[in-house]
Amino acid sequence: MALSEELVAPWAEWQESYQDGQRLLEAGTYALTEGAVAAGLGVFAGYPITPATDIAEYMSKRLPQIDGYYLQAEDELAGMHMCAGASLGGQKAMTATSGPGYTLMHDAYGWAIVNEIPVVVVDAMRVGPVSGITGAPGQGEFYVSRYCSHGGNIETIVLSPNSVQETFWLTIDAFNLAERFRTVVTILTDQVVADMFEDLFLPGDYGALSDIVVPRRHNLTMPFFPADSSEIDLPPNVIGEGTGVCVSPYTHTEEGYDIEEMEAQWSQTFRLINKIRHHKDEILRYEAVGLDDAEVIAVAYGATARTVKTAVLEARRQGVKAGFLRLISLWPFPDELFERDQPYLVCELNYDGQLVREVMRAAPDKNRVHFMGKSGEMHTVAEVCEALEGVAKHQKMPQQPYIWTEVR
Amino acid sequence: MKPRTEILISGFGGQGVIRMALILGRCAVDQGQRVTMLKSHGTETRGGYVRAQLVISPDYVDSPVVENADLFVAFSAPAYRKFYDLCSGKVLYDPEMVEDIHDDAADRHVEIPSRALARDHFDNALFANMVMLGALTRLAAMDLAVMKDVMVDVIPRAHEQNLRALDLGHGLEVVARRA
Repeated sequence: MALSEELVAPWAEWQESYQDGQRLLEAGTYALTEGAVAAGLGVFAGYPITPATDIAEYMSKRLPQIDGYYLQAEDELAGMHMCAGASLGGQKAMTATSGPGYTLMHDAYGWAIVNEIPVVVVDAMRVGPVSGITGAPGQGEFYVSRYCSHGGNIETIVLSPNSVQETFWLTIDAFNLAERFRTVVTILTDQVVADMFEDLFLPGDYGALSDIVVPRRHNLTMPFFPADSSEIDLPPNVIGEGTGVCVSPYTHTEEGYDIEEMEAQWSQTFRLINKIRHHKDEILRYEAVGLDDAEVIAVAYGATARTVKTAVLEARRQGVKAGFLRLISLWPFPDELFERDQPYLVCELNYDGQLVREVMRAAPDKNRVHFMGKSGEMHTVAEVCEALEGVAKHQKMPQQPYIWTEVR
Repeated sequence: MKPRTEILISGFGGQGVIRMALILGRCAVDQGQRVTMLKSHGTETRGGYVRAQLVISPDYVDSPVVENADLFVAFSAPAYRKFYDLCSGKVLYDPEMVEDIHDDAADRHVEIPSRALARDHFDNALFANMVMLGALTRLAAMDLAVMKDVMVDVIPRAHEQNLRALDLGHGLEVVARRA
C-alpha cells in the first residue's frame, strides 16, 4: 500500500500551474526576496543581522530595479514602523531580522496589528539564549511570534517554510494573508532554511502570477475599523489619497478616534481576535505523511522537518510504523491536527520545549507527547529513528547525548 | 545516479570551499538533479573550519544533512579530524594540509596535491580548489564540460587558469584509477 502523503497549502496547486521559468541554485534568502517581489512588494525597511543580512542585501539590489524602495533603518523598531507607514501609504511592505532584532519590534507589531495594517515580517531564527551564535539555527521564537506585542487581546498569523522552493511560494502566500486579514503576517524561518542553497524554480514572468497574488486595494471610506465584525477581505485603509484614517495604539472607534469606553474596547478586541479565529480554516497549512496507520507521529516545522521526514521514512523501512506531521501555519495553532490518540514525538531546535507544549495541550493524552529538543544543530536521521523506535516499541524516549527530553 | 549522493567539503576560510560547492551544486542542477547545499559561516570562517554539505539526488532531498558522505574533501587537518567519521566513501585530501591520515582505510584515501600543482602551474596556491574540483568531478562521475560552463559563469575572472586547473585535477592518474 502506498504511503499517504498530503500537502495542504495553496502552493500545492500553484506549483502545478506555473511551469515556465528557470531552475537555479539559490539560497532561502534569495527565494524570500523573489517571493516578495513576485507578490508586489514596494518597500523593504530594516536593519541587517545574520542570518537575515542577505535578505537586506538582495532587497537593496532588487527593489530599485522595480521602482520599489529599500530603506536601511537606524534599528529594527524604526524599520518595522517604517513598513507600517509605507503600508498605510498604499505599498506592500516587508522587514526581516533575526532573534535579537525581533525582540525590538514588539512596539511596532502592536501598532500594525491594532490598526489593521498589512505588513510581512521575517524572523530567521538562530540559536539562543539571546544573541546566541550567529550562524547556528534555532527555533526559539515560536511563542514570541504568537505573543509579539504587549497587552494580549490579539491573534496572530505565523507561517514557517522548510525549503528554498517553499520559501518562494510561502512568501507570496504571506503577503496574500496580510492583505486579506489586514494584519501582520510573520514568516518564521531559520538559519538553515534561510542560508541553505537548493534548486529553485522561479516563474519566468511574475505578471502571470496575477491569478494568485492578492493585489493591494485601498479603503478610503468609514468605517475604517468595523466593530464586532470578523469579516475578512476588506480593503486595507490607506491615507494620503484625499482622505485619512487616524491610527493609534489606543483603543479606538470605528472611525479611528481614541476612546476610553469599554464597549469600544470589547468590540475592537472581538474583531482583532475573531477575524482570525473565525477563519482558521483559511490559514491552515501543513504536510502529513503516513498518518493512517502510524503508531507514532513525528511533529516538526522548518528545517527540523527535513531530517525528521527522512527519519520517518527510514524508520518505516526498519519496520516502525511512523507518521510525519509538518506544521506550516504555526499560529493560530492547528489543534485539529492533533486529534489522533497516538504517541507524538515533537522535534524542535530548543532545549526549553515550545512547540511540544502546544502539542501536549492539543493532543488527547499529554503523557504520550514526547519531546526531542536539540540546540544549535539539526537533529540527525539516526537520532530521530532511534527515538521513533523507542516510543513506538517501548513507549519511552531513549537517552541520547545533547538531546533534551524533559519538558517539566 | 544513486538515489542520494552526499558530498562534504571542508577547510579554512578563504580556500574556496563554498565556491567549490556552489559550482558543483549548480552543475548538478543544470544536469537535472535536485540539490541541497548547507554552508557553515560566521565565526567558523574566522579562523576555524568552513564546511559545505551537498546532497545530490534525482528526487527531492528531504534531509540536507550529510551524515554518511560518499565523498569527503579535506582541505585542512582540523577539517579532516573533525569530519572523518562522517565519511564512508572516498576521502580526497591535500597532503600539504593533511599530513596524518588514518591508516585503517588506505583504499578510501585519494591524495590530491592540489596546492603544489596550483603553485607549479599557476604560481598561485589559490587555484588549488579548482584542481580539487576537477578531481571531484571525475570521482563523482559528473560531466566535466558542464562543470566548466558553470565555473566560467560563477567565477568572474581568471577563466583560463581555472579551466586548466580543472583539467589538471580531472586528469590526475590517481583520480583516473579510482574513478
